[in-house]
Amino acid sequence: MPRVQLAVIVAAVAGLLVSIYLTALHYAGSPAACPIGGPVNCELVLMSPYAVVAATTVPTSAAGILWFAITALLWTRRFGWMQVAWSAIGMAVVLYLVFIEIVKLGAICLWCTLAHVLVLLIFLVAVSTRSERAAR
Amino acid sequence: MRKPVSGTPTWVAPAAVVAAVAILIAAFLVVRWYTTPLPLPTPSADATQQVIAEITSLPQSELDSIGQGTASNLIKPVSGSLLTGSTGKPEVLYIGAEYCPYCAAERWPLIIALARFGTFSGLQATTSSSTDIYPNTPTFTFHGATYTSQYVDFRAVETKDRNQSPLQSPTAAEDQLVTRYDTSNSIPFVDFANRYAFAGAMYSPDLLGGRTWQSVATDVQNPDTTQAKAIVGSANMLTAAICKTTGDQPAAVCSGAAVQAIEKKLG
Repeated sequence: MPRVQLAVIVAAVAGLLVSIYLTALHYAGSPAACPIGGPVNCELVLMSPYAVVAATTVPTSAAGILWFAITALLWTRRFGWMQVAWSAIGMAVVLYLVFIEIVKLGAICLWCTLAHVLVLLIFLVAVSTRSERAAR
Repeated sequence: MRKPVSGTPTWVAPAAVVAAVAILIAAFLVVRWYTTPLPLPTPSADATQQVIAEITSLPQSELDSIGQGTASNLIKPVSGSLLTGSTGKPEVLYIGAEYCPYCAAERWPLIIALARFGTFSGLQATTSSSTDIYPNTPTFTFHGATYTSQYVDFRAVETKDRNQSPLQSPTAAEDQLVTRYDTSNSIPFVDFANRYAFAGAMYSPDLLGGRTWQSVATDVQNPDTTQAKAIVGSANMLTAAICKTTGDQPAAVCSGAAVQAIEKKLG
């Protein structure tokens, strides 16, 4: 398996673990292990009405579990448009969530940010790989 | 033979993505800066008393016509020995903080509801934190206020001021109630004599964003406004829970159609 492909799978598994942690916290009603100071406030973000999928009680992090799991599976297959499209969907959702954090809540959740960075990295790898293939 | 190469280096696409993300985040920060309501000038003591007088003298017809309004029913029955206050009457315990926007929202209906059973004095206008969600939400603080009633005792603990500096501490017994009934550890937490309890706000503080105290009071007096449906609806929910602890006393308050209907929902 190429190293880039392996790196994406590792990133997806890391994102999966972060999402599982945040989902477990949601259902346990426990606070996240996260410092509070300045704009960093995990509790504010995770307890906000935006922390669940609209009109449901399902935490957004549960959608993260699904996305990272599918990402890991997709990257075990031959690279194609599917990986680019899937990572673009993830990136679009991340941008929406960052909008909510900054504009609506005025607070940043570090654990969420870790997951967002992983999505960005996976998207960048997908775009880079696509560019390389197109250049050949 | 050498392969033809694309005219665009492969690093351009990911670099463009990074740049676009950075620009978007910068735009979000600018939007946040522009949309954050400025701290409101706090009204004078007289103006504050005027606002409180207006919201605590709503006609019965308005209270009944709104009913639960758009308030979320967060109140849950709890079991425990009857919580009584300093004068031996059933106690309504509030634990919140001045910085907290949800507490800011919930104080409006709490004041309306409790004023139906007694009298507040010393309430002062304030706003929630400027740096939290729903910044600068107009409200009042229970810190320094007193409440007298022949039906219930009211104990309020504002744990932190609007800058998140420590203000008041709950007793060990009150901490135990929070641990027992407020499993999400949210504020505000309100315990109705250990018969009912809830945590959180019954409506979104967003409804009060950028509003003055007087404009909120004016809207509360009009049953057709979104604010009245949320705030008066919440006040009716709180009134019903208090009535449950006072044995439906006073009858003039607890026999109202809206309160009776909500009492049935509370179980």
